[in-house]
Amino acid sequence: MLLSQIAAELGLTFTGEDIAISGMNTLRDAGPSELSYIIHGKYTSALSQTSAGAVLVPKALQNALAEGTYALVCDDAALAMAYASRLFAPPFIDSDAPVPVIGEASFVDPRATLENGVVIGKGCTVMAGAYLGSGVTVGDDTVLFPNTTIYRDTVIGSRCRIHGGTTVGADGFGYAHTAQGEHVKIYQNGNVVIGDDVELGSNCSIDRAVFASTRVRNGSKLDNNVHIGHNCDIGEHCIIVAQVGIGGSTTLGRNCVVSGQTAFADHLEIAPFTTFTARSGVTKSIKESGKVYSGYPLMEHRLWRRLQGRLAKLADEGISKKRRAKTHEAE
Amino acid sequence: MKLSDICQRLTVSFDGEDREITGLNALKDATQSEVSFLENPKYASQLESTKASAVFVTSAMAHLLPATAVALVVDEPYIALAKASRFFAPARLEHDLPAPVVGEGSVIETGAFVAGGSRIGKNCHIMPGVFIGNNVTVGDNTVLYPNVTVYRDCVIGSDCVIHSGTVIGSDGFGFATTKQGTHVKIYQNGNVVIGDDVEIGANTTIDRAVFASTLIGNGVRIDNLVQVGHNCVIGDYSVLVSQVGLAGSSRLGRNVVMGGQSATAGHLSIAPFVTIAARGGVTKNVEKGGVYGGFPLMEHKLWLKLQGKLARLLKA
Repeated sequence: MLLSQIAAELGLTFTGEDIAISGMNTLRDAGPSELSYIIHGKYTSALSQTSAGAVLVPKALQNALAEGTYALVCDDAALAMAYASRLFAPPFIDSDAPVPVIGEASFVDPRATLENGVVIGKGCTVMAGAYLGSGVTVGDDTVLFPNTTIYRDTVIGSRCRIHGGTTVGADGFGYAHTAQGEHVKIYQNGNVVIGDDVELGSNCSIDRAVFASTRVRNGSKLDNNVHIGHNCDIGEHCIIVAQVGIGGSTTLGRNCVVSGQTAFADHLEIAPFTTFTARSGVTKSIKESGKVYSGYPLMEHRLWRRLQGRLAKLADEGISKKRRAKTHEAE
Repeated sequence: MKLSDICQRLTVSFDGEDREITGLNALKDATQSEVSFLENPKYASQLESTKASAVFVTSAMAHLLPATAVALVVDEPYIALAKASRFFAPARLEHDLPAPVVGEGSVIETGAFVAGGSRIGKNCHIMPGVFIGNNVTVGDNTVLYPNVTVYRDCVIGSDCVIHSGTVIGSDGFGFATTKQGTHVKIYQNGNVVIGDDVEIGANTTIDRAVFASTLIGNGVRIDNLVQVGHNCVIGDYSVLVSQVGLAGSSRLGRNVVMGGQSATAGHLSIAPFVTIAARGGVTKNVEKGGVYGGFPLMEHKLWLKLQGKLARLLKA
């Protein structure tokens, strides 16, 4: 799509040499054929370093851009970005893609649905009610249990097991907001990439990236009802227990252990070999690897245990004081 | 169904003028063709103003009923209601309803199922594995991703997007517990009504109302793995982040934001423009706008202070 067309669609003025735009990306990752954007003064330093072909910027920042990057001036870059994302959304189904390719010794139940463009490796099992969208690729010896839904362009490795009801590649939760409090969809045009030997429990949801990919790397195991937000990167051999929620763009290093009902805020970086006990609430990045954490707000596990001890004592003191007062009154 | 039939099936004594009953409802909402109940003496004041045709009550409360309502005297009104709810439960799947009506430009993919009596608007896309029950209404331009389930009688507006694995209209969690500790199902005979321009993530569940409707306003955004209990009312443009849980009959005003894993107890209201921080546990009405957090819930600023104090306690 030409930059001039994008400008016209968004009602923005465009003058100068036209270029072809293939998609959208962050300032840091955008290439010369991509459109990027900047939101409220954050990341201003990235403006001068971006290789993006064009950037949606408010007027005040248009001169901060590197030479060779076109400034597409708008009032609200976040809203403009949301409207522009729609222009790059692929169709729900690519009917014209080649018919599905199914490897040797793979079994696909006739009640499963495979869209065109699907490629399944050898020795896989796809059970009844499973749905594989356009362009999905699956490695060898992977099992998709009944009613799993794999959205378009998802990549699944070899020897994976994906249990019933799990959804891989649904839209990430991303919106820009109007002054009236309405929410404008940011189309999630990335995908999900699942490595080899990954197990996903039942009714998990792993959201597709807004740009690029959400990743679950080799050997990671997820329990039931786990939510992984868009653009997360789950390292190799992580263990994630039931009902964990991970906010968008959070990355876990390898071999992290996340116990039940733990939750992570978005945009965090967690060092490898970190352990979280059940119900932890993680709101800050963790830089040092190999430690055990608990609680909300999060603290080191041994501190949390000490705090629980003190709280128990505090509660006990309160009760005994009241009792003492009562006995005193009775006397 | 005749009132005398209901009484006969429940072995409740009934004499007097018979009436035609169309369903069950809460005391304050019941119409002249509906039966209601009173179990909790807290709501006894609602008895005298009820328009219900008949009410399950204990003998102690029966005299409070207006002359228009027949008193159905039982020991355990809530159990009687639960048993009666089964009589009004519609069939799971009716095969003799008119074929579904599908608007111009809408695509129902192979492998999707749309039951009789349903109406799909224009330019909708219903993907494989979707189940749409009897008498469901879907507006225009709405997308249902694979394996979405919409139970019977639900209403979905225009311009909505519903992601995979989400279930709209499954039964609310309602049971009457007998003295022996067994649980009698209260059939959930209401529905779910979703407004226009609503997006719902993957594997979310929105339960159908016991009576009337669970309501989702216009422009609401719901993330993945969210649970909305029966008879909740979600105001326009509210945002529910992943793994939020709303217990039955929670009422949210417009533009309420519920952070990840925050939750509400049942039967409470949250004022418009309130934000509940992640993990916040709401157990009482929130009447004033602002940001709240923690469990028990407090103003978010106070919560931050409390955490500071706890940190100092640790050092002491």
